[in-house]
Amino acid sequence: MAQTQTWTDTGIAELILLLREEAATGMESIVCLEMATVTTAVVGSTFADPADTAVHHTDSGLELAAIDTVGGDTVNTAGDTITFDHVFTASGTKNVSGIHVCNNDDNVTFIECGFNAVLAVESGDTITIDGQSTIEQA
Amino acid sequence: MSVATKNAFKVTVTGEQREGKCESCGTQTVKQFYMDGERKRVHMVCPKCGGQGRLIVKTYSIQAPKPPQGANPKCLWQFFLRVMFCSLLSTYHRKRVEYATHNRYKNMPAKYRSGEPSPQNIKEAIKAIIKLKLGR
Repeated sequence: MAQTQTWTDTGIAELILLLREEAATGMESIVCLEMATVTTAVVGSTFADPADTAVHHTDSGLELAAIDTVGGDTVNTAGDTITFDHVFTASGTKNVSGIHVCNNDDNVTFIECGFNAVLAVESGDTITIDGQSTIEQA
Repeated sequence: MSVATKNAFKVTVTGEQREGKCESCGTQTVKQFYMDGERKRVHMVCPKCGGQGRLIVKTYSIQAPKPPQGANPKCLWQFFLRVMFCSLLSTYHRKRVEYATHNRYKNMPAKYRSGEPSPQNIKEAIKAIIKLKLGR
C-alpha cells in the first residue's frame, strides 16, 4: 500500500464554514495515529473515528498538540498552499501509523495521513512532520 | 457539470524518524525554528555541534496517477504505465520503510533510510525492489 493522505469530508465542511464566517476554526492541532498495521487514509474519516482501527495517541509525546508552524506558500499560484511542520518527541515505545491534522477546537480532522509502513518509535525518538496542501484549479 | 472535485486538494506529508541524540556528540537534540525562504520551519538539532540525530527512516509521499486525458489507446496505455509505476513505487517505499524501521541499528545504504534517490521509472522501481529483497 502506498502512503495515503487526503483531506477528509469533515475537513472540507469545516473549511466551507470558515468561508461562510460561521462557527469554525482553522488548522491548529496535530496528533499521531496508533495502529499495529498500515492505516489507509480515507475521506470519510473523522476526528473521533480515524480510518481502519486507528486511534489517536493520548500520551508519550505523540498526543494532540498545537502544530509548531503553519504557514502559506506558493506552488501554482500565489497563496494556494498551506504548509505545516511539527516535531513529536516520543517518551515511550509506540507504533505510529500516521497523523491527523485538526482544527483549533480539536473536534474536526482536516487531513489524514497513513504512512508507508508503521513507524516503531522508542523513547527519545523524534518524528518530524513536513506537510503541505495545495488547492489546485480543476 | 462538475468542474472541481476534492481531487483539487493535494496533500503531501512526510515523516522523518530520528534518534533523539546527536549522532556526532551524543547530546540530546532540541527543537529549533528556522526560516527556509519565507517558510518558518522546525527541526531537531544538537545545541553543541549543530548535528542531528541519526536518521532511522523517512516516509515518502506518493501521489495517485493523473487520470487519462482521452479514451484513445495511446492515452490509455500511458495511464496504464503511470498506474504500474505508482504501484511499484508504492511497493518499494513500503518495503523500504519496513526494512529500515525493523533494522534501526543495522548498517544499510543511506537510500533505504532517506528514500532518496527514489526510482524514476518502472525499470528502476523493479530493480530497486529486487535489490532491496536481495539486500536482506
